[in-house]
Amino acid sequence: MSVFSDLIERVRTIVFRKREEAELAEELRFHLEMSAEQAQRAGVSESEAKRLSAIELGGVERTKEDVRDARGTRWLDDFVTDIGLALRTIRRAPGVAVIVIGMLAIGIGANTAIFTLIDAVVLRSLPVREPDRLVVIGDPTMANSTGRSTGVNALSYLLYRDISALGGPLESVLAAGPTGRLDVRIDATATEFERPHGRFVSGNYFSVLGVPAFRGRVFDGTEDNAVGAAPIAVISHRYWTRRFQQHPATIGTTIVINNTRMTIVGVAPEHFSGEVVGEAADIWLPASMRDVLKPRQLWLGQRNQIWLLALGRLAPGATLEQVKATYSPFMVRTVAEYAGSRREAFLARNPQAPITAGHRGFSDVRGTFQAPLLTLMIGVALLLCIICANVANLLLARAVARGREMSVRLALGAGRGRLVRLLLAESLVLAVFGTALGVLLASWGSGALLALASDGQGIPLDLALNVRVLLFTVAISCAAVVLFGLAPAVRASRAQHASMLRDGARTIGSDLGGGRRRITPTRILIGAQVALSVVLLVGAAMLSKSLRNVQSAEVGLDRDHLLMLDLDIETRNYERARIAPITSTLVDRIAAIPGVSAVVYSENGIFSGTEWSTRIDILGQAPRSDDDRLTATDNVSPGYFSGVGARMVAGREFDAGDAQPIPRVAVVNESFAKFYFPQEIAVGKTIIRDSLAITIIGVAADLRDHYLDRVPRRRMYTPFVPTDSNFTNPEDLRIAIRTTGDPVAVATEVRNAVTAIDPTLPIHAIVPLSQLMRRSIQERRLLAQLASAFGVLALVLASVGLYGVMSYAIKRRTGELGLRAALGAQRGDVIRLVLTDALALVVAGVVVGVPLALVSTRLLGAQLHGVGRVDPASIVVALLVLTVSAAIAGLLPALSASRVSPLVALRAN
Amino acid sequence: MADDRQDLLQGTLELLVLKTLALEPMHGWGIAQRIEQMSKETFLVTQGSLYPALQRMKRRGWIKSAWQTTANNRRARYYELTADGRKQLDVERTVWERASGAINWILDANRIPDVSET
Repeated sequence: MSVFSDLIERVRTIVFRKREEAELAEELRFHLEMSAEQAQRAGVSESEAKRLSAIELGGVERTKEDVRDARGTRWLDDFVTDIGLALRTIRRAPGVAVIVIGMLAIGIGANTAIFTLIDAVVLRSLPVREPDRLVVIGDPTMANSTGRSTGVNALSYLLYRDISALGGPLESVLAAGPTGRLDVRIDATATEFERPHGRFVSGNYFSVLGVPAFRGRVFDGTEDNAVGAAPIAVISHRYWTRRFQQHPATIGTTIVINNTRMTIVGVAPEHFSGEVVGEAADIWLPASMRDVLKPRQLWLGQRNQIWLLALGRLAPGATLEQVKATYSPFMVRTVAEYAGSRREAFLARNPQAPITAGHRGFSDVRGTFQAPLLTLMIGVALLLCIICANVANLLLARAVARGREMSVRLALGAGRGRLVRLLLAESLVLAVFGTALGVLLASWGSGALLALASDGQGIPLDLALNVRVLLFTVAISCAAVVLFGLAPAVRASRAQHASMLRDGARTIGSDLGGGRRRITPTRILIGAQVALSVVLLVGAAMLSKSLRNVQSAEVGLDRDHLLMLDLDIETRNYERARIAPITSTLVDRIAAIPGVSAVVYSENGIFSGTEWSTRIDILGQAPRSDDDRLTATDNVSPGYFSGVGARMVAGREFDAGDAQPIPRVAVVNESFAKFYFPQEIAVGKTIIRDSLAITIIGVAADLRDHYLDRVPRRRMYTPFVPTDSNFTNPEDLRIAIRTTGDPVAVATEVRNAVTAIDPTLPIHAIVPLSQLMRRSIQERRLLAQLASAFGVLALVLASVGLYGVMSYAIKRRTGELGLRAALGAQRGDVIRLVLTDALALVVAGVVVGVPLALVSTRLLGAQLHGVGRVDPASIVVALLVLTVSAAIAGLLPALSASRVSPLVALRAN
Repeated sequence: MADDRQDLLQGTLELLVLKTLALEPMHGWGIAQRIEQMSKETFLVTQGSLYPALQRMKRRGWIKSAWQTTANNRRARYYELTADGRKQLDVERTVWERASGAINWILDANRIPDVSET
């Protein structure tokens, strides 16, 4: 109660400060008047009464002060005064303030921008009910992965059904998986498809997450009761807005998805875009509808088809450990039960199922961007330190120049603590402006970064400011104030009154007192800037080198002359017999386009994001382990290798005669040949796949056909056969078009050729290979570019700082330099004198910076490709760049110093 | 003008202000006058100690204030006890009575009490 009244009273006196003061004055005046009247009544003469009252008046100001103290807001009054003073000081010298605010804005903005991304990708919880009670079952980075495999990093529908009935520490479990391409017609008569981003989800999806319908209803949990019995869909608020203009009649509308009629039953709330971070779902479909919507992939009943991830909600009082203890052994046991011959291999590889805290949901982008973002965070933190050092130097210089003002304040009775507070208030004002501007910069910058990172693909992330980001920004701003504000404040408060007042500004502690190099705060700060710049520059050099390594990696493909055409044959539901003739017509038409030199195709394509593996045996060899049997595979057209620019090492490649319904021949890559036949010739050997003997007819050079930054896997190629079989699905057809010139130039004609054959055949993409490759290393490029940008910025700041300090020192030494010149010093001597001084600072910084760089670049670890932990070349490059810019920063003042005329200099003194 | 009024004992001002305001709401000048009168001109309450004390008591929630017109039609800030203030008056009164009683025992003592060794 009394704490409360205390607070109210204090707040009141702060808010109504003016009125409070006026009232206090009036109250005391009333007191005096009454006092004077009483004295008069008592017979004191009017003049005597006035005299008495005047004596008492002397106490009035004192009383007022005591009352103000009693209010308990004294510190605040002082603070308000300090801020006012600070604002006035800044207005008097706006130049310095603008520079300081600008630099702080860049530093704080960059930090906030990166942190905004980290928050959105790594830290933030899903916008659902009690996210902390969610548990992820499966590998959360596999939100869009599906596979024919025996494993527990994702779930089959049947395994999901098993664990959803398990209960125990989880009160409920939902499942969700990718839909792949959806072909949607809102209007059944439309000829064009649209492709909303969908998720297959279990019927309890919305209830487990605690997300209610915004309009209509969500799934009610009965959807999983029978396969194909729930032709309904829930759409996102975004899709509802974008596609249906928020029309109320959307609820109940029937749309056509993959030739199946589905009814929209509800709209999800605006803030909810799904359980996958970095992806916004447009439409949710019951998982039990998968076999109806994708009739060529009957996955619902298959134990070895894994495509779902699960999110469980903890029962009250239950813990993650309990879930692990119950669910993991159950899942491993269940999968092993159906694993057949793979049982032992599975158990050896999967002692337990991945079960982790689920508040952050699933995410592919998290896996990709987490490490680069943390690296960048360290980079911008260093940058902010450099900026703080720079600002501290500027303010130090100003504090020195203001020594006289401080002396006066001291002489007039200001305490030193009070002076420190006054100067800190100035720093605080600068930081507040810098932070405000920085937040603006960050809100623009984080969006721009995201756009760069997604390379036009659009990663939907909510980058709006939130409490955590703001707290972070405020925290780093406060840290910055302490970093850059404290040294100048302490320095200024140390002003000596008597001497300062006497000598005026002339003898204010020179930073380079006549030839002796003193260690001053300014010099330490410059050294620190150099050291931190070294760290940033070495890191940037290593990342750039790594990027160059990746970019220039030998891929074995004609990377600049390939156009990748990805068709959506599956959605057309052609009769199987028609696919082969259509394919060959298409290939002929495209091959006839001028500028096209070859047209080949394969099932998985190049840099398509789709990969297949299979298990094989080599005739006459016993595998050492199950892993030894694993090989990557693809089915390719006749002439494929020469078509994409690959080199045959031995034997021959496929011709038209090899495309038999049951493949009998194979081409393997060099890695394959070396792995299985280290001492022998591979051509002519026999591979056994699913009890079928396949003869190796050729060995092709390794292709980096899916990742630039990974070692090529061992791979076998079999002929592409346009019929359904265990080994090929003719609908997965990806065409590679070799051109003589720029591949983009023929894109339009390729598109026309496709349309001429079947105007309704959807083209998923026509992209030059170089672009696909660039996209595949997008996060590496971004990281290297940003690190370089930060490195250059750090370098510029350090150089500017050095320049500032040197020019200032030379101004102080004008007299000395003039004297030297008068005594016969040559221009070269003067230049050498000043340069030596500057380089001494740089050397000191480098001596500290290089070991620091060696330690901190270890953190880059996995992000480096073909660059050692310690890379002498990068260090040399960094030091070279640094020395050159430092030399320039030192040379300019040195040159101007050498031009000092002895007469002018001596007169100035 | 000879003045034999004395300053208040340390810590008693708040008790006296509370007591004064318990009788009726009053402005600062009135409180000072009332204390002087009631103490039969023994105590002198200066504005320098009165107003800071009033501010402190307000912060603690014992009293509240409002502007009113006096009988002579002038504006003055009147102070009034709150419920907390009333409770505080009882507390301070008990403390004071115990302290003054104890002091009296000491002053009235006319023989040295036995102090037993322990």
